[in-house]
Amino acid sequence: MPVFVEDPAQFSKPRLKSELIAHNVTLPAVESKKQVYVELYLKHIVQKSAADFSSDEEDDDVVEVQDSQDFEEEKDPEMLDPSVLTDEELKTTLLKYGVEAGPIVATTRSIYERKLQRLLKPAQPRQNGGTGDADQYSDSEGDEESVSQQGSPETVSLMEENLHVDIRMVPQSWNNKNTEYRYHQCFMPLSRMFESRIPLSSSGPEIKRGNNRSNNQGPRPRPYWQEVATVDKYTMTNRSLFVTPKTSLFKRQIKEPVTDVLMEMFPETEPTPTGIAATRRRPIKGAAGRPVQFKYPDLPASPMTLQRWAVEHRLVPLWVQILVFFIVACLLYLIYAAMEDSLANPFVTLLDNLSMETETEGLSLQAEP
Amino acid sequence: MSSTSQKHKEFVAEPMGEKLVNALAGIGEVLGKRLEEKGFDKAYVVLGQFLVLKKDEELFRDWLKDTCGANVKQQGDCYGCLREWCDSFLLFQFVLCQRKTYQHGPFI
Repeated sequence: MPVFVEDPAQFSKPRLKSELIAHNVTLPAVESKKQVYVELYLKHIVQKSAADFSSDEEDDDVVEVQDSQDFEEEKDPEMLDPSVLTDEELKTTLLKYGVEAGPIVATTRSIYERKLQRLLKPAQPRQNGGTGDADQYSDSEGDEESVSQQGSPETVSLMEENLHVDIRMVPQSWNNKNTEYRYHQCFMPLSRMFESRIPLSSSGPEIKRGNNRSNNQGPRPRPYWQEVATVDKYTMTNRSLFVTPKTSLFKRQIKEPVTDVLMEMFPETEPTPTGIAATRRRPIKGAAGRPVQFKYPDLPASPMTLQRWAVEHRLVPLWVQILVFFIVACLLYLIYAAMEDSLANPFVTLLDNLSMETETEGLSLQAEP
Repeated sequence: MSSTSQKHKEFVAEPMGEKLVNALAGIGEVLGKRLEEKGFDKAYVVLGQFLVLKKDEELFRDWLKDTCGANVKQQGDCYGCLREWCDSFLLFQFVLCQRKTYQHGPFI
């Protein structure tokens, strides 16, 4: 137990920063963990204040002990009462339990606090420790247990897997853990990639690319996916070039034929007044040998798709179209020719002349004999 | 899922636009009024909350129970409704694996 009244481990990072600045201590790198700040705080500030109370030797010992105990002590007070945690601390604590928390805002804070309490209650929470698999599938397991619906567990589990894969890719790459990566290229939403990219620093993509080079024994398609994910944020059309040959490899990675295979959509969108892009999702039909179950009646496709189809597939054969065209043309001509007061048309006049000539010939022939 | 209600089917069939929160599956008059009192007057506001919770089922159910006192079935209905709506209408930049689906004609 700490001797000091104030436990710097309980301070928030900004508070630690300000304290360090107040005591003219050089701050560590911006992206340092809170632990670094706590240590610096203890080294410089605690020593200053403790010098009044005890000797230097005791200070050093206590400080050293404090440093080693910091990590655990940081957990203990937080574990007992989630409501005193700051948003960041709450988020990091949830992350320790394998829960990738979303933004902790006013409406979500109480929910996450309760979740943390629930995680703290069981002595051995299933999300804690264990293998990387357990960590990754923690939310999916929880969802499967709590929900009786059929389709939702797989969907959520897949989505959560993607989420975990995405977020975990960077930290776990540092530990060279590349055995639990599950990814579904066809299922990977950009929104997830946005999330993964936003919290990461700008070195994120480089880390991912570095991951490619360092973990060459990983599954082959992964580098492609990562490259695609990092390179191709806005241009979706190129992705298929990377992915289509590799789709067969994903079969083994899908747990079971999911009823919600319906993740795939095309990006064709139409602007709506609400700003929500409304494109209908279509299930994959037989792509990569996957069985497909239609869940919704298919709606008419977007105009682009229709045009494309119209070009590729003709309902009516070409020769029939040409034949019909000629028939209609002949009909129109006949109608036009049948008009009595036809205009000064060279053809008409020619025909008239011919007919007159034939008439005159006929008359002349008749007249001669 | 053959067990979805008519309300669910209607909701997931089109963009929600300005639909009221009562249009959500599982949200009736009573729950709808409670949600409106809390400020969730339109379906898209609940959608916003759903998305902020990262579409996590457990969290969303908790939130729904907290906010309007929905029971398990109502929570499940609402969650399923919103999730399927998002599947259909929330733009996901997925990989274009579905070129192969164009094998059949335009009119199925």
